Amino acid sequence: MKLLRFEYKITILYLLIGGLWILFSDKILYLLINDSSRLSQFQTYKGWFYVIITAIILFFFIKKHLNKRRNLENELKEFQGLIEKKVELRTEELEAALKHLKETQAQLIQSEKMASLGILTAGVAHEINNPLNYIMGSYVGLLRHYKENSFSDNPEQVGKLIDAMKIGIDRSSAIVQGLNQLSRKSDSYEEECNVHEILENSLTMLNSQIKQHITVRKDFSASEILIKGNVGHLHQVFINILGNAIQAIESEGVITIKTEDKESEVLISITDTGVGIPEENLEKITDPFFTTKAPGKGTGLGLSITYNIIKEHKGKLKFESQEGKGTTVSVILAKPIYHE
Amino acid sequence: MSNKEKIIYVDDEEVNVMLFEINFSVNFEVYTGYSGFQRLELLDKHPDVKIVISDMKMPGMSGIEFIKIAKEKYPEKRFYILTGFEITEEIQNALKSGLIQKYFRKPFKMKEIENAINEY
Repeated sequence: MKLLRFEYKITILYLLIGGLWILFSDKILYLLINDSSRLSQFQTYKGWFYVIITAIILFFFIKKHLNKRRNLENELKEFQGLIEKKVELRTEELEAALKHLKETQAQLIQSEKMASLGILTAGVAHEINNPLNYIMGSYVGLLRHYKENSFSDNPEQVGKLIDAMKIGIDRSSAIVQGLNQLSRKSDSYEEECNVHEILENSLTMLNSQIKQHITVRKDFSASEILIKGNVGHLHQVFINILGNAIQAIESEGVITIKTEDKESEVLISITDTGVGIPEENLEKITDPFFTTKAPGKGTGLGLSITYNIIKEHKGKLKFESQEGKGTTVSVILAKPIYHE
Repeated sequence: MSNKEKIIYVDDEEVNVMLFEINFSVNFEVYTGYSGFQRLELLDKHPDVKIVISDMKMPGMSGIEFIKIAKEKYPEKRFYILTGFEITEEIQNALKSGLIQKYFRKPFKMKEIENAINEY
């Protein structure tokens, strides 16, 4: 019976009761009542009796069944509520975890920037100390001349001292300007970027890291290249790529920086004659945290950040490498469209 | 012939060399050179110069690398480094081993260098 559905059960029950009633009720009635005039009256009572009894039986039967259903429904509702609460809780947990992850990522990106700034600082300090040395030399000479008239016999020496001071001032202010451009905090991608200037600045920042035996060749296009982008971020891109090129060269080597001004795009390629990248790593080098450097030596974020910055500029970043021969990194940036 | 103390100064930056020449020529006899190999020739050409001051970062050969070679040939000469860098491990080791007498920072201090030269 358990296997039968409710509608079958109720129909069978109804047929059973109805059938039995039809079969036996009249027989019983005839046995009990002989008077035919009273018979039709009792037939009516019998009819009522039948209807009331079946109604009561059906009422309890359906009620029992529906109660089961209702309980189930209530349980289901409770359960649903429970699940909803659980999902809500989990979502909140996930959201918190995601927020935490994003914060950690931002922190890492910042620490990567700070780490590279730390390396850069030594280089920049040297770059500034050098022109300061010019200014100091000029000052020492001019002071002596002022006090002792030491160069009255050859006044051209005084001119040389003054020129040296000017060179020193120009150079240090150029470096400071370069630093300002690098550390510029702006989210705009609409700034005017002078590609050669950014490359020169990046080289200045890295100057102290460029080892004795590395030659830097600049194969720049004849005219200056201006594009739209974020000046600070593009500095970060080229400092990252050039920094990698310097690190890839173990002892002696050449870094070639080539710029090409094409019709609709600008191509900047940086080629080094360093150790190269194994083929199986080429696909992974822009993945966050991928690094082949010893723990503590690299965050594995440099190229991932570079890739993201280029993506923000709607540009392309390509790597070609041969182990033991060197690597070429190409940055392709779109040129702004000027409406005539 | 003057009896001024003789100094050799090498730096790859022309302006530095010129300024050194102008300022130190007053009290010393100064010989200068630019690149690594020129420096060694300079030492051979003026064997009587006792004091050699070198920049650290030069194309081809670092200041310390140059002094290592020079010191072997001329152990009696006194070598100094004048650089815009903070003191590095390389310079520290050179000081410890007696390869160089002193390390001067750029921007240079006239008095500091003069005192060091006149110490002996």
